[in-house]
Amino acid sequence: MKKHRFSWSHLYLVLVFAVLYAPILFLIVYSFSQGNSMDHFHGFTLQHYQELFDDRRMIVIVINTMLIALLSALISTLIGTLGALQIDKTTNKLTRGTILSLNNILMVSPDVIIGASFLIFFTRFHIGLGFWTVLLSHIAFEIPIVVLMVLPRLSEMSGTMLDAAEDLGATNWQMLSRVILPFISPGIFAGFFMALTYSLDDFAVTFFVTGNGFSTLSVEIYSRARQGISLEINALSGLMFIFALGLIVGYYFIQQANQHRLQKHQKSGAV
Amino acid sequence: MPHRHTNWLYGIPYWLWIGLFVIAPVALIIYQSFFNIDSHFTLNNYATYFHSGTYLQMTVNSVWYALLVTFFTLLISYPAAYIMSHLKHRDLWLLLIILPTWINILLKAYAFIGIFSQAGIANQFLTLIGIGPRQLLFTKSSFLFVATYIQIPFMILPIYNAILDLSPSYVNASRDLGATNWQTFWRVIWPLTLPGVKSGIQAVFIPSLSLFMLTRLIGGNKIITLGTAIEEHFLTTMNWGMGSTIGVVLIIAMVIIMIFTNSDKPTKGDRPS
Amino acid sequence: MAKTIVELKNVSKSYGETTILKHINLELEEGKFYTLLGPSGCGKTTILRTIAGFTDATTGEIRFDGQKINDVPANKRKVNTVFQDYALFPHMSVFDNVAFGLAIHKLDKAEIKQRVQAALTLVQLEGYTNRGIAELSGGQQQRVAIARAIVMKPRVLLLDEPLSALDAKLRRAMQVELRNLQQRLGITFLFVTHDQEEALAMSDDIFVMNNGEILQSGSPVDIYDEPVNHFVADFIGESNILPGHMIKDYEVEFGGQKFTCSDAGMKPNEPVEVVLRPEDLTITTPENGKLVVTIETQLFRGDYYEIVGYDDDHHEWLIHSIHSPKDGERVGLTFDPDDIHVMRYGEKEAEFEARLDAYED
Repeated sequence: MKKHRFSWSHLYLVLVFAVLYAPILFLIVYSFSQGNSMDHFHGFTLQHYQELFDDRRMIVIVINTMLIALLSALISTLIGTLGALQIDKTTNKLTRGTILSLNNILMVSPDVIIGASFLIFFTRFHIGLGFWTVLLSHIAFEIPIVVLMVLPRLSEMSGTMLDAAEDLGATNWQMLSRVILPFISPGIFAGFFMALTYSLDDFAVTFFVTGNGFSTLSVEIYSRARQGISLEINALSGLMFIFALGLIVGYYFIQQANQHRLQKHQKSGAV
Repeated sequence: MPHRHTNWLYGIPYWLWIGLFVIAPVALIIYQSFFNIDSHFTLNNYATYFHSGTYLQMTVNSVWYALLVTFFTLLISYPAAYIMSHLKHRDLWLLLIILPTWINILLKAYAFIGIFSQAGIANQFLTLIGIGPRQLLFTKSSFLFVATYIQIPFMILPIYNAILDLSPSYVNASRDLGATNWQTFWRVIWPLTLPGVKSGIQAVFIPSLSLFMLTRLIGGNKIITLGTAIEEHFLTTMNWGMGSTIGVVLIIAMVIIMIFTNSDKPTKGDRPS
Repeated sequence: MAKTIVELKNVSKSYGETTILKHINLELEEGKFYTLLGPSGCGKTTILRTIAGFTDATTGEIRFDGQKINDVPANKRKVNTVFQDYALFPHMSVFDNVAFGLAIHKLDKAEIKQRVQAALTLVQLEGYTNRGIAELSGGQQQRVAIARAIVMKPRVLLLDEPLSALDAKLRRAMQVELRNLQQRLGITFLFVTHDQEEALAMSDDIFVMNNGEILQSGSPVDIYDEPVNHFVADFIGESNILPGHMIKDYEVEFGGQKFTCSDAGMKPNEPVEVVLRPEDLTITTPENGKLVVTIETQLFRGDYYEIVGYDDDHHEWLIHSIHSPKDGERVGLTFDPDDIHVMRYGEKEAEFEARLDAYED
């Protein structure tokens, strides 16, 4: 009886996962298909990948996208961590609540609102649309997620731990660099990671603030997809899937290795 | 702690960010909503919005479809999250849920253009079972399907976390007191995982109001969401005032949703008191 | 008399309307074991934190080695603290935790290593240098916290309820160890606890606190035998406290009878409270007893019986005895005049001591 129910639930889960992955696999399969449509498989070819690598414009856009993602993630991690430290210091409940609400506005706002309001903002201050406006916008919408990743680690830190550090002679800077930062580093790392994915994932905000000269991958895919099917995009999604898979496997193994090292460390210490 | 006032200078970039990229843009969009296309102050945008049937119809439609998307997403996600949380290698399954969110939303939308096309795989299947081919792309149902598809991981994650946080002893206690599986679920598990459901709804409903790229690529403009209208006004007709007015409506909708889904931990800051 | 190392002069602390400390005066001498004893919220931890430098005194002076240190930040004070929750750094090994303060002060590696090893040896954790904090038991974490503080060679060690998280058996063992450690190091310990047994067992001197005030200070024996008021008598040990009248010097009335006692210096017929410790009461036959009670309940405590009885006025009497009477039995109770301790209502410690001095001469 119990076993029977189990298999039904597993079947359901498998179905959900199948639906989740089917479109992605579909894209990748057709990236190897000859011809120019996604209706029947016309035989294996790498021609679309060849086209992709020859497409100078696309290569530049990929580099731009990566550059924006890395730079914005780095800067937002820095600013967000400093912000989290400040919020953590704020003990007044009302002030803290207000700051957190302000912090979360960009988290919950729809992309179009962020995009439109940033567009008004940049235009009003006569900042020309392009690389810098995209970078600034990405930094702006990544900061709150970094804060939200770092803040819980900070509040996990018991107050007496800082007392202890000060008691043992640590200055403000030493408390920060030797106690706080090492302790919250998992949160900072997670924040950076989330910021990176937010940047790579974004379409709508970028679409509003990008102007004519500058483009990121998602904007480019949007304009090409509106023109119809081009298997070069399939090839691109194949590469991006492998990239994402690589990142996530890497992340998984780093975590595993960390745990492993910790255990080993503990074992050698026990001797 | 008298000796430990960490330098407020460190925080300057963060306060600048709040000022320039949180407060200023919201203020600007509200301000802009009072100007017409010729940059003259006017209340006409709001008058137009509330008097023209088209805008109100569009708002109702937008909210209705967002509700549908949220409902279907929840319907599919809750059981999936529940089953996942009881699996042995659940961390791995969780990663598998997260992985599709790293594939750009436009690539996924693009895949459905292929799948739903006239000669696409979906229609081939319909032909096989004898009810196709049909027009699938550029219909309301295809929009619903793709939007639900895209939002599922964002619903599963918070629910999954809420279920994991649930101590098994509650379930055991409920069984111990004679509750059936269904009673245990309905009286213990569901209420205790409700916060996760609420944040899932928050994460799905608001973006669903503004998925303009899907309405264009998949919905074929059969559905005009608030997001589509804003994009149209800002980037095509260049009527920023009207676009901002719709934006303000969207912001208000968002605040209402926040109030409803945050009821158990109200933060004083987001409500004028 | 030993040298005074820490001195609090008229220290008060308030947060807005709430007053945590009221005019605290205390002096700690070098090389002694002191305990701040009181119920939770009485301000004892706040005193510790003002000495450590984590909290400012609103008014009053904190002196260390004769110097006023109100404005010296915590990281410059020559006192160290063992925290209630240990506050060990979870991202560091045992060695790095203990070495933290030394590394902050930029000592050279060899000296750090040698001093850390010595400190760990002192707390019997020699083999644990590379362990992570999370894999230690509560008792071991406690020892690391102590090692981390004493490795700094403080002249005063502050201990904020360090034993409260340990189980009863381990707590007793640690009491002995802490006392030994203090005597070996020869430095001043200021120990905060709400556990009167702990305070009595370990301290040279105890400060009993309640509501932000020090009610009484003195050796454990003095405080136990001659509590200044009802609160202290009740908080320290177990007692029978009864209302009575002081007939004249060395004669007190309670329970409708007159008794000889060893207290004096009060007004004739002044209403007083009388303290009789349960272990000072001896069970005898009703004819030989100074008081007669009916036994209500008794609990076996291992080394004695805890017996509750009622006299004819329905006063409850707590008796500790190695003999067990029968339930419902009428027994007599005897005690010596010295066992009676008389307390005046509202008398402060200073007045109490002055009165004691007056008639003991």
